[in-house]
Amino acid sequence: MISERLKRIILEALQLEDFDMQDDTTANMVPGWDSLSHIKVIVAIEESYGIRFKTLEVIRLKNVGQLQRLIDAKK
Amino acid sequence: MPFNSLKYLLFLPVVYLVFYFVGERARWGVLLAASLLFYAALNVPYLLVVLILVAITTYGFGIWMNQAGTPKRKRILLWGGIGANLLILVVMKYLPFLSENLKALSEMLSMDARTQPVKAFVAIGISYYVFQAISYLVDIHLEIEKPERHFGYFALYLAFFPKLLQGPIERASDLIPQLKTRYKFNYDNIRFGMLLFTWGLFKKVVIADRLGLYVDAVYNDVHAFSGLPLLLATYAYAFQIYMDFSGYTDMALGSARIFNINLTQNFDSPYVATSVIDFWRRWHITFSRWILDYIFKPLQMQWRNWEKGGTAAALIVTFLVSGIWHGASWGFVIWGGLHGLYMACSIYYKPSQKKLHKTLGIEKNKFLKVWQVFITFNLVSFAWVFFRATNLDDAVYLVTNILNSTKGFSSGFILSQGRYELVALIAATLVYILTSNSMKTRTAIDMYNRFFVIRHLAYCSLVIFILLFGVYTIDSKFLYFKF
Repeated sequence: MISERLKRIILEALQLEDFDMQDDTTANMVPGWDSLSHIKVIVAIEESYGIRFKTLEVIRLKNVGQLQRLIDAKK
Repeated sequence: MPFNSLKYLLFLPVVYLVFYFVGERARWGVLLAASLLFYAALNVPYLLVVLILVAITTYGFGIWMNQAGTPKRKRILLWGGIGANLLILVVMKYLPFLSENLKALSEMLSMDARTQPVKAFVAIGISYYVFQAISYLVDIHLEIEKPERHFGYFALYLAFFPKLLQGPIERASDLIPQLKTRYKFNYDNIRFGMLLFTWGLFKKVVIADRLGLYVDAVYNDVHAFSGLPLLLATYAYAFQIYMDFSGYTDMALGSARIFNINLTQNFDSPYVATSVIDFWRRWHITFSRWILDYIFKPLQMQWRNWEKGGTAAALIVTFLVSGIWHGASWGFVIWGGLHGLYMACSIYYKPSQKKLHKTLGIEKNKFLKVWQVFITFNLVSFAWVFFRATNLDDAVYLVTNILNSTKGFSSGFILSQGRYELVALIAATLVYILTSNSMKTRTAIDMYNRFFVIRHLAYCSLVIFILLFGVYTIDSKFLYFKF
């Protein structure tokens, strides 16, 4: 389950109106989520939740579900 | 042995026949032996040593990393493995360049540099499989790949002859499972593979090498020219290198296809790109994905708190590395740096540019797209000058004289001396590139698949073209051999 908060952060960073975020949603399914905008998403999440990711953790992420679990583990 | 040689045209079917008739369990052995033979046919014995060294080292580090108890130890082993591979690459490729520049530096500082000039090693293929080896180790560290226990399959992953000399740079997760799949005879794959191979041969021998005659005439003697020939030779080079490298890629993919192996496509109509960033999603795709995943992304992550500046810096560093990978010369470094700069700038102006297009309501305008393709092609061609020029002096001369016609307006140059073929060639190439991804090509392929006559007409014309218009009078090496 993707929290509303995470979904809002992603949509805002990518300047999207709406997108159905599921556990298995990957970046290339979402319009405009490429390697350049990816970093905006990561930074926005870090700022909003007050957490800090390690490079390795982020590079291993395969989908939004894993991202949600990573955030939950860090909170 | 190069793909466009008689030796290879005999080698490939013989290898296939042995592969086919030997049992399933020995097939990897046949392919590995064939690959080593293929590499040995270059007549540079130390290359085989380098390949085996890289294979053994990487195989070993992969297994140690997996067995390592702590994350810290894993990291140390990762950097050990990467370091070993980079050391081999640097020694083989960059020693003369480094020693020359160190010498120049010490001379500038008036130190007595009594070093022997270091002879350049032949390094064909090394840049490619070292990059594969590094990606293998990093993928194990990222836990998206398990170390391969069977040394034969691992060695084959590095040495597989269709991709040994010039890539594509394959990921372990893409290639190793295919190598292990039981072989089942597939007539369509053989047919398609041979056609793709022939098409690649056509692109190389008929188009690229013909363009090369013109490009060489100008680039090997730039000071004899001024104005239009400089510009046209640069455009011609842009097409030459594309036809040469994509032709090679087709021959590689075609050769592999015969064994039911699908290698990764390296090109996607690069000159219809609407931006330099788009260009790199279409040019030498396996290489740009490699530098994206293993250099750009980690750097961008490290520097994320500098926002746009961080991304821009990561792009510049990544593409400087790209330049250096291509070769040990300042021309390549400048080429890479230019591309890095192009993309770094776009990070800053893209958002405003997007807003402007939206305000003017021209985002989906076809003319805008044509304009963007035109600009991108020219930016890329400008960078090619530094890539192709024999030395920096030539490059600077070319760039400063491209609009200069003091040596007489030489438009007659193209049409005289029987060079009309160049014009026709460029036109034909443009048509090819522009129709590559359109619906028309799809229907053409449908017709091709359905009608025996069209198919065989196509085969015959290709072969006839290759025999009639191919260039055989020069020492026709693939351009990307040097990298």
